[in-house]
Amino acid sequence: MSLLNRAFEIEGIPSVMTTWRDGVARLAKAPRVTFTTLPRGATIGAPHDTAQQRRVLEATFELFKQEAPVKPVVLDETMEEA
Amino acid sequence: MEILENRQAWEDHFKANWLAHYEETGETNWKLYQYSKNEEAPSGKAIDLSQSKLLFVTSSGAYLKDSQEAFDAPELLGDYTVRTFPQSTDLGDIAFAHEHYNHQYVDQDPQSVLPLRLLETMQSEGIIGELAETVVSFHGYTPIVTRVIDETIPQIISIAKEQNVDAALLVPV
Repeated sequence: MSLLNRAFEIEGIPSVMTTWRDGVARLAKAPRVTFTTLPRGATIGAPHDTAQQRRVLEATFELFKQEAPVKPVVLDETMEEA
Repeated sequence: MEILENRQAWEDHFKANWLAHYEETGETNWKLYQYSKNEEAPSGKAIDLSQSKLLFVTSSGAYLKDSQEAFDAPELLGDYTVRTFPQSTDLGDIAFAHEHYNHQYVDQDPQSVLPLRLLETMQSEGIIGELAETVVSFHGYTPIVTRVIDETIPQIISIAKEQNVDAALLVPV
């Protein structure tokens, strides 16, 4: 997905991404990305935790307000893994 | 600016290591895998999302369970195809074909990776100007990066242009 993030930006279409997989995204130089420590399979937030899902999306959308590349933003969003 | 700056070097390493091991044993060994590496991130303009049309892209392996072919989730070499479905799709009509993440969370609440209703709420509130009519879905297990660049990404960019979007939200799993 990091390469798609790059491809969109190269095509002149700004794109934002949020992921728990910070190492891969940093290595690929994704241009607009937020990082969480949410578990794999719950990228946007815990099940039925609409408030958290919304916080993650809103924080990620903030990246549209700046010119790319944007320094990756680490969000304090996590959940207990079942 | 390239999607992958050192494509040939990546491909050479992949063929000589991960792929050679797979072809010899039929098994994957991620210690032999080299993730995509770039030195520079592409530049791009700032936008006002409240005045923009947004395309949602998921790599969760989501598909319409009654009308679309599932992604080839067991294939160890990956599936590079793309599905699309309407943004307005009922979450109950969607299944996830992807064996590389635990489905316990999406089984409880698909919006943990596929926030279709939440995006609609944010559109109604004016945070998002407009949502694209179509959601783009692919299967995030794609070890052959050159096939992602040559097959998957061009399909997605083409859909984005057809939908005349101004921006994209990418949610991997």
